[in-house]
Amino acid sequence: MARPGFVLEVDERTPPLLLHQGEGFRLEKFPLGSRVIYPPDALPRIRDVRAAIRHALANPHGSEPLAELLTPGMKLTIAIDDISLPLPPMQPPDVRQLVLEEVVELAARKGVEDVKLFMANSLHRRMTGPEIKHAVGERIFRSFYPKDLKNHDAEDPDNLLFVGTTDKGEEVELNKRAAESDLVVYVNINLVALDGGHKSVPVGLASYKSVRHHHNVHTLMHSNSYMDPREGRSAIHDSCRRMGKVVADAGIRVFTIETTLNNNTFPEPFGFMNKREWEWSVKEQATYLAAKKLNDLGPSQAKHQIWMRIRSPHGVIGVNAGATDPVHERTLAKLHEQQLVEVDGQSDVMVVGLPYLGPYNVNSIMNPILVHCLGLGYVFNMYRNMPVVRPGGVMIMFHPVPWEFHQVHHPSYVDFFEEVLAESTDPATIESKFEEQYATDPWYIHLYRTSYAYHGVHPFYMWYWGAHALDYLGDVIVVGGNRKACERMGYRAASTFRDALEMAGETVGRSPSISYFHMPPFMIADVR
Amino acid sequence: MAGKRKLVDELRDVAEGWRWGRRPIMPRSAEGVTAPAERWSFPTDWARTPAGRAARDAVLLGAMKPLVWNETAPQVFGLDHLEGMRAPVMFISNHSSHLDATLILTTLPQEWRDRTATAAAKDYFFDVWWRSAFTALVYGGFPIERGGGERATAKARELIRDGWNLVVFPEGTRSPDGWVQRFRHGTARLAIEMEMPVVPIAIIGAYAAMPKGRSWPRSGRPPIRVRYGEPLIPGEDESHQDLSLRMQRAIAELFDEDRTSWWEARRRAASAETPKITGPAGPGWLRVWEGSRPIRRHAKRPTWR
Repeated sequence: MARPGFVLEVDERTPPLLLHQGEGFRLEKFPLGSRVIYPPDALPRIRDVRAAIRHALANPHGSEPLAELLTPGMKLTIAIDDISLPLPPMQPPDVRQLVLEEVVELAARKGVEDVKLFMANSLHRRMTGPEIKHAVGERIFRSFYPKDLKNHDAEDPDNLLFVGTTDKGEEVELNKRAAESDLVVYVNINLVALDGGHKSVPVGLASYKSVRHHHNVHTLMHSNSYMDPREGRSAIHDSCRRMGKVVADAGIRVFTIETTLNNNTFPEPFGFMNKREWEWSVKEQATYLAAKKLNDLGPSQAKHQIWMRIRSPHGVIGVNAGATDPVHERTLAKLHEQQLVEVDGQSDVMVVGLPYLGPYNVNSIMNPILVHCLGLGYVFNMYRNMPVVRPGGVMIMFHPVPWEFHQVHHPSYVDFFEEVLAESTDPATIESKFEEQYATDPWYIHLYRTSYAYHGVHPFYMWYWGAHALDYLGDVIVVGGNRKACERMGYRAASTFRDALEMAGETVGRSPSISYFHMPPFMIADVR
Repeated sequence: MAGKRKLVDELRDVAEGWRWGRRPIMPRSAEGVTAPAERWSFPTDWARTPAGRAARDAVLLGAMKPLVWNETAPQVFGLDHLEGMRAPVMFISNHSSHLDATLILTTLPQEWRDRTATAAAKDYFFDVWWRSAFTALVYGGFPIERGGGERATAKARELIRDGWNLVVFPEGTRSPDGWVQRFRHGTARLAIEMEMPVVPIAIIGAYAAMPKGRSWPRSGRPPIRVRYGEPLIPGEDESHQDLSLRMQRAIAELFDEDRTSWWEARRRAASAETPKITGPAGPGWLRVWEGSRPIRRHAKRPTWR
């Protein structure tokens, strides 16, 4: 049985602990009495994933078996989670490939001819051919790309269809082909509790017109935790659920296939990053030292390439198929088994080491706004019930926050950082004053549709993503962060961890309680 | 920016979690969630190859024996019991000092030593590579898990089948006060299962010379006596409890023989009056006090002289 996560109390025997810091990592000594929240060990992987997929397709929850839903002459659309999942990208074969091959095999056997596949990238950047090939596998890629396997285009008026409006007035506009299909099969990877469920079709295949209803400051401020999608806990998930109902009421049949991955994040020789520090063997300690020194001394370009080439050895731990709600319920149960850690009460200070990768910089650069999104948007929200840090507390993040942008992937980010954040960091002000201009800018739309750029509005969403944390926290301190970039975002930069604690003292007093959220791998703190 | 750290600082950080010590450094609150015992065992077969044995002889006879014989004054008795016996046999002994294994291996005749391996606790002697290598090389050591069970003795069985004699300390650990502790049944079970003779050995004075906690013998060349006893052959229907008792009695008789004489010890044994070697009942200090009482510098002369 895999060991559950646990909360360590730092004592004099505790060795210095590993912290990620962008494209780097370090050991850091924590003050005595600090708490360290460790994720559970990786659950054992399913040995025969293909058999598990076949079983899930033949025994779905709340639906007939997939084979019975496939008929000759039907229109079948398959939507697939995009490059933002999983993190880091999986070692081949990607679980999406395995699922797709089973689904397409069934379709072929049942005589379905009209099959289209879409990467459900919503307002994310389009995926390149090699990226799609990695996700779907060579056979699917060769059979369908580029004619019948495409990126979803949220700005193509000819290929979007207005489906309806929710009882709260939220418009649902989807990929036309999907909306007009006899069956939509959604192939998902559920890495965190935020993903999946009704966030798949109504978001992944939607347009800006539709997405803006839940990706806004009001909704995100009222999402107690994005990682707790239970009804009434997260406004964004409630909105998605309403949209899912509209989709169902419009007669769009969705067959959801959700997969869950284990915690096995780093391959060898970085395996030490998956382990608790006092359990490192001499070999792992030597590997740490060698990797650390090489990483510190290596040229930044080469370093970046190496980090981006990491393919994680994630194991599949769950495959469920059928109607969206019962499937997602089971997926979440499995995910919680892998990620939930019980934590007793909140702390004054939350410490995190932000890794080199978030959902929006795969094969790209983590710019300051993405650091904000990863730290305050994702990691801060990895909780149930209440945040790890108390209201008015301090979050200390480790990241270099380089003032760097990927000019192809993140063009609107550059302008957002230079123009918008220079004027205000308040999400509500930014939203009312700038969002529409960026969202409808024809150049950004052109880049989104024809190049590999994130939608013009995407940096706004990244900023809103941290809105709840910005409102909640008393201070945000970044150890090792670029001072100018931090200042622009309203953070404070510290040179060392000790300095950061000293600075935090101004907000939370001289001897604060400290919780170090030891990730990656991902986990959810169940704070009681 | 957090400045680039020097290699020496990094080394210092890593060294805080280093495992040179006997146990990995483990935070207290992590003790309940310790990783399951590693199944991997340090390979020891290399130490029993001809080259390994030659190296062992060089270290044992060239360094360890002169050292122990210089710092203490060992005497050996009863090796004649080995005459006419054939390997494999199991040497069992009371265990009160790190000197014990060295004393047994250096007092065994060459032809016996060549085919003898020592069972050593995996969690102590095989926790870090250098200690594992030392144990394997010098004592022909192989890891045995103290927790018991089938897996614990798998390697021992394999060696016995290959004709190796074993040195086993049935107490499982060194005595904290010099007195003999309860024998664990695993040794007797193994002897019965493998139908092998058990040669009892009493090591007297090793506790006084170098007790648990010391890494060097006391000064003054303290006397130590190693007494080999008559082999015990497990009976056909003998239970492991019975054999275990016989083993303890055999060692007690050797202690008695050392204290008095062979003749007196035999007589007392015949009337089941052999003094116990489990020490006096009473407070801990009393047991240590009695256990560390210096032994006579010379063994008692035989009565018939």
